[in-house]
Amino acid sequence: MEPEKYKKNRKLTVRDMTLIGLMVAILEVCKAALSFLPNIELVSFWIILFTVFFHRKIFFAIPAFVLMEGLIYGFGMWWFSYLYVWPLLALVSFIFRRQESVWFWSILSSVFGLFFGFLCAISYVAVGAADGGLRSGLHAGFTWWVAGIKMDIIHAVGNFVLMLVLYNPVYMTMKKLVPTYFYDCKI
Amino acid sequence: MNSKSSNGNKKIVIGIVVLVALIGLFAILYNVFREKPVEGSKSITIEVVNKAEEKTSYELKTDAEYLRQAMEEAEGLTFSGTESEHGMMVESVNDETADYNVDGAYWGFFVNGEYCNYGIDMQPVEDGDVFSIIYTVGE
Repeated sequence: MEPEKYKKNRKLTVRDMTLIGLMVAILEVCKAALSFLPNIELVSFWIILFTVFFHRKIFFAIPAFVLMEGLIYGFGMWWFSYLYVWPLLALVSFIFRRQESVWFWSILSSVFGLFFGFLCAISYVAVGAADGGLRSGLHAGFTWWVAGIKMDIIHAVGNFVLMLVLYNPVYMTMKKLVPTYFYDCKI
Repeated sequence: MNSKSSNGNKKIVIGIVVLVALIGLFAILYNVFREKPVEGSKSITIEVVNKAEEKTSYELKTDAEYLRQAMEEAEGLTFSGTESEHGMMVESVNDETADYNVDGAYWGFFVNGEYCNYGIDMQPVEDGDVFSIIYTVGE
């Protein structure tokens, strides 16, 4: 994990920027690779793992990833949700970054998937409220959220299974490789 | 050490139970509050008479404007054919193919006992209509 001396150094280095670029690339490639499966995604998995290993650097990668998403798929309503949904996952992961239990992360990732639609619905509440008042906004957000609950359940199950299967091998590999990033040593 | 591990296991079990309960709660919310499809306003019957002259009837309520959509909505009725500029030329109904090139057979379409003047994409649907799809062998 990130050593103390790096925590004190708040400046981003070229190496950090390369790492951030790599994180964005991994997020984008994994998202595109699984896009044919509705609501089965590896973005949650990677954001959690990147936060556990690289801490605050994920907060530079997420805006770049969200911007890329907008440029590729267009800046729809969903895009505004991405602005707070993914950082929220990173924030929660950051709080629990010392956890090493595969079950803990599987449950967290699954809960995030389950609430994904609920969190995204906040944008619809805001737009609806701006248009026709708070009541109308809440109705719009609630209707939108409920319509997508089936997909949220798929999201939750997918996130749980992916984390359960991938966490240990990826975590162990990263644990071995990440010190080379911080200490410049060979393994 | 053992007590620590059993404590950890307990937390995992609680976590999984809470997760499953949440999924169940969400499923209930979905079933209670989701927009239910409105039942169609036209009651129609589609009858299929196959090569062996066995009749199968499908009764449905629909808002379909044209026969094709109503046929798609009829539960258990399957059909396929060739798309053309006039819409679909139905060749198979309920997995039974009528091949005009082999024995002059085709699927004849009737509405209220009268031969349909339009293809299924253009045949209007009105309340109370009875459509018959009959395996017919040409003379």
